Amino acid sequence: MCGIAGRILNAPGQVGRDLVDLMDAQEHRGADSTGFAIYGPPREAGYVLRGMGYDKSKVDADLVDLKAIMTDHGADFAADPQVLTDAAPYYCFRVEMTDPRDLAAWVADADTLTDRIEVQSCGRSLEIIKDVGGAAQVADKHGVRDMEGTHGLGHARLATESDVRPNASHPFWARPFSDVAIVHNGQITDYFTKRDQLTRQGYRFLTENDSELIAVWVSDQMKAGLTMPQALTKSIGSIDGVFTYMIATTDGIGFAKDRYAMKPLVVIDQAGDLAMATEEQAVRRIFQGEEDVINYDGPSMTALWGVGNRSLAA
Amino acid sequence: MTHIVDVGERHIREINEEIQEAAARGDEIRVVNTLSRHNLGVGLPDGCKISFEGSVGYYCGGLNTGARIEVERNAGWAVGEGMSKGHITVGGYAGMSVGAAMINGTIHVKGDAGPRCGVAMKGGNIVVEGKIGYQSGFMAHQGKIIALGGAGESCADALWSAEVWVAGDVDSLGVDVNVVEPTAEEVAEVDAILDPLGLVDSSRNWRKMVAGERLWYFESRDASAWLMI
Repeated sequence: MCGIAGRILNAPGQVGRDLVDLMDAQEHRGADSTGFAIYGPPREAGYVLRGMGYDKSKVDADLVDLKAIMTDHGADFAADPQVLTDAAPYYCFRVEMTDPRDLAAWVADADTLTDRIEVQSCGRSLEIIKDVGGAAQVADKHGVRDMEGTHGLGHARLATESDVRPNASHPFWARPFSDVAIVHNGQITDYFTKRDQLTRQGYRFLTENDSELIAVWVSDQMKAGLTMPQALTKSIGSIDGVFTYMIATTDGIGFAKDRYAMKPLVVIDQAGDLAMATEEQAVRRIFQGEEDVINYDGPSMTALWGVGNRSLAA
Repeated sequence: MTHIVDVGERHIREINEEIQEAAARGDEIRVVNTLSRHNLGVGLPDGCKISFEGSVGYYCGGLNTGARIEVERNAGWAVGEGMSKGHITVGGYAGMSVGAAMINGTIHVKGDAGPRCGVAMKGGNIVVEGKIGYQSGFMAHQGKIIALGGAGESCADALWSAEVWVAGDVDSLGVDVNVVEPTAEEVAEVDAILDPLGLVDSSRNWRKMVAGERLWYFESRDASAWLMI
């Protein structure tokens, strides 16, 4: 049992604050770890990286090596890296970088450092913040409530398939596709086989979490030519297990649900001002009036919600 | 007199204790500011009369032993789970597993109901004015599920002795279902359930679904029917 949430604003605003509210209302669904994927104002060039290092005493050496790999790819830090530590042995970082010549090639080389540091999101707009603890605890530590943007995802985790660790929590970035993130409620049963197939194609998985598959699988289908609605529909027949997941890009949020109709999703849509969550009591934190909720309760469902007038259908 | 219970962010145990105390005094109860919270009004006693403002979350009215419960708008999962007596009315939509494993009493949903309506019910009646969701009646032992606005996929899947009555379209049948023509006496029995709710309509074209009884005893030649996917 996990809790997921999504939020789309009609205009850039306090999406971080709303996602914290949505996740705080669902903390009972899983308080192991909480995570957020926030789409801020997109930059014309350069990427924001979010990630973590396992040993905070080695942060300086880690960042020197990360920068060296950027240099190899014609990129550099665009600002001083921000590092966040607390009592835990690991640290979290936020790095702004200039454009590398080839993003996927840079990600592959940066991933040679994954015994020490792990890039957890990369995007012109996307930033993934995830850590152990409940919504308020993670929000306070990382300043999530102050993060502005147009849309985003949230996740409260009750670990079933892998460790309780900050990097095994959601949202997952669709490594190495910039600006793609997912949250998932359920369990994937054939993830090991599918990961193996994707790994042989050159993709890299950093955790033993079943959900990490979904982000990469859907993105790979879209790379092969499917539209997002086609890829979402195909996932229902191709991925085995119980799932309700949401996948976000800079253009909006898509959703798919398995054939067994096990995991709920509740949506309030006020002319494109949207809140989605596992439980109605979460979306009522955002819309407290008489707004109607839509229950996506059937089997094999998909939906797409664009930001503003953007479309995910093409 | 009417006792008002304000839910808000209070601990659920404190809220339910306040409801139980008011019920023990014989007060009528109005629950406001519900915020779609879970577990509201669980284990209510016989004779209690209670209404919930707005929507409620999961398990509202669960283990009901005779209360008359009204939810103004929507209910989350498993409204009236395990109830043995009483009457629950949901004004809007009722989520997954309405009346799961209920033993007796009536649940009346004015909107649609989610997947697995009446799952494993052991008795009583569920009346849904709208459509019942995917796999409704799944493994229901006894009692009636009556839908006036159609049914979703895999309707009446793997029934025991319960009956699923549908007026309107059925998207698809579940495993091991017999659709039978009801007799006039059986329709009169259903109308007797609908009458107090003001829902009798003699023009309905009923489909009554009962177990095909093939799955009641495992035979290896039926193995393919057990594989639902």
